[in-house]
Amino acid sequence: MIRFLAISFLSIFGLASCSLKTTEGLRQVHFNKTEVENPYFSNSEIDYVYKAKIEVYGKNFGGILILKKIGPENHRIVFTTEFGSKLFDFQFEGDTFTKHFVVEDLDKKFIVNILKDDFKLLVAESAKVIAVYESKNQRIYKTQADERFNFYFLDDKSEKLTRVVNTSKTKEKVEIDFISSEGKIADTIAIKHNNIKLTIDLEKFKKE
Amino acid sequence: MRNYFLLLFFIIVGSSIQAQETAMSASEITAFKEKVIASAKTTKTIKTDFVQYKHLDFLADDVKTSGKMVFKAPNLVKWEYTNPYKYSVIFKEDQLLINDGGTKSKVDIGNSKLFKKLNQLIVNSVKGNMFNDADFTVSFFKSSKYNKAVFIPKDKKIAVYIASFELLFNKDDAQVYEVKMVEPSQDFTRIIFSNRVLNNTVDDSIFSN
Repeated sequence: MIRFLAISFLSIFGLASCSLKTTEGLRQVHFNKTEVENPYFSNSEIDYVYKAKIEVYGKNFGGILILKKIGPENHRIVFTTEFGSKLFDFQFEGDTFTKHFVVEDLDKKFIVNILKDDFKLLVAESAKVIAVYESKNQRIYKTQADERFNFYFLDDKSEKLTRVVNTSKTKEKVEIDFISSEGKIADTIAIKHNNIKLTIDLEKFKKE
Repeated sequence: MRNYFLLLFFIIVGSSIQAQETAMSASEITAFKEKVIASAKTTKTIKTDFVQYKHLDFLADDVKTSGKMVFKAPNLVKWEYTNPYKYSVIFKEDQLLINDGGTKSKVDIGNSKLFKKLNQLIVNSVKGNMFNDADFTVSFFKSSKYNKAVFIPKDKKIAVYIASFELLFNKDDAQVYEVKMVEPSQDFTRIIFSNRVLNNTVDDSIFSN
């Protein structure tokens, strides 16, 4: 009996320790929504232009991040220095990724892959919901992304998307936080990696 | 019919405006170079405002940023963007001193030949005096409003980044008033200078972070 208790206790502890923080203590609920949407880069009329600050392993650099929806499920993303020289130029069309240009110093497979995954997650407009969780004032929509999962945090009252978390089965990998005053354009975006020391902070260009 | 004449009129006027830019003759080139070099020699300091336009073909509008530039002979330059964000870069010897909205950093460019070249371009383009640069093929054009020098890189490593580099000069004082950098994709960056003040005192302390 004691042995049984010990095993079940250990297994509970073991299970708890490898479960995701993202959904810890949250109640799974029935869902009425089959798709969850990210509205922040979905208007093809808008040039989305952000000042970017990047910190990677304690080194800082900056630039201008330009995003544009150029067709259905088709986004162009260009990063330039403040002087306007292109550092990279990517296109995401459905599942097809095109590398139009990458400056020599950044053109390494692991860097391009990180950037590709981050920006794919950032601009993806909708995904099929596989589970829904409820917290005090938010609903969290779980979606499948290849071998991984994405969790979309929507505010109960405003219905604004405030956060997207990309996870493996057991660990949070990338977190994106959005602040939006009106819900359709993100004023600031913070992309944070948990397994590498990389953060990308974006601030929308102010209107003149 | 009347519309047709109007259209024809605009085509003729339009094409004549385009045709206003012509290549300089050999003697014009010599005279122009001399004027730019003489002007650059007497230029000890420059303070100017600038507006930068980044043109990307897929965008509805060019990305516009603006600020101030300060130059002090022989090779101190500070670019300071003030709108829509605060960001400054100081070119000092083999270093770039960057202040990105309060986050300060330093970049050593001493060991990067390409980076050095790109920076040298920026410094020299402010003065305009870069005709003897062996890395570029230079051609010269004139119009009633400006003189223009077009630089095409010979070095393949630079050509990956820059298809051509254009400087537009005022006719009267031979100062650069516009810089245009065209990428191989034909996207380009234009920087237009205004409110230029020459040879006022510029304190060295401006060039520290």
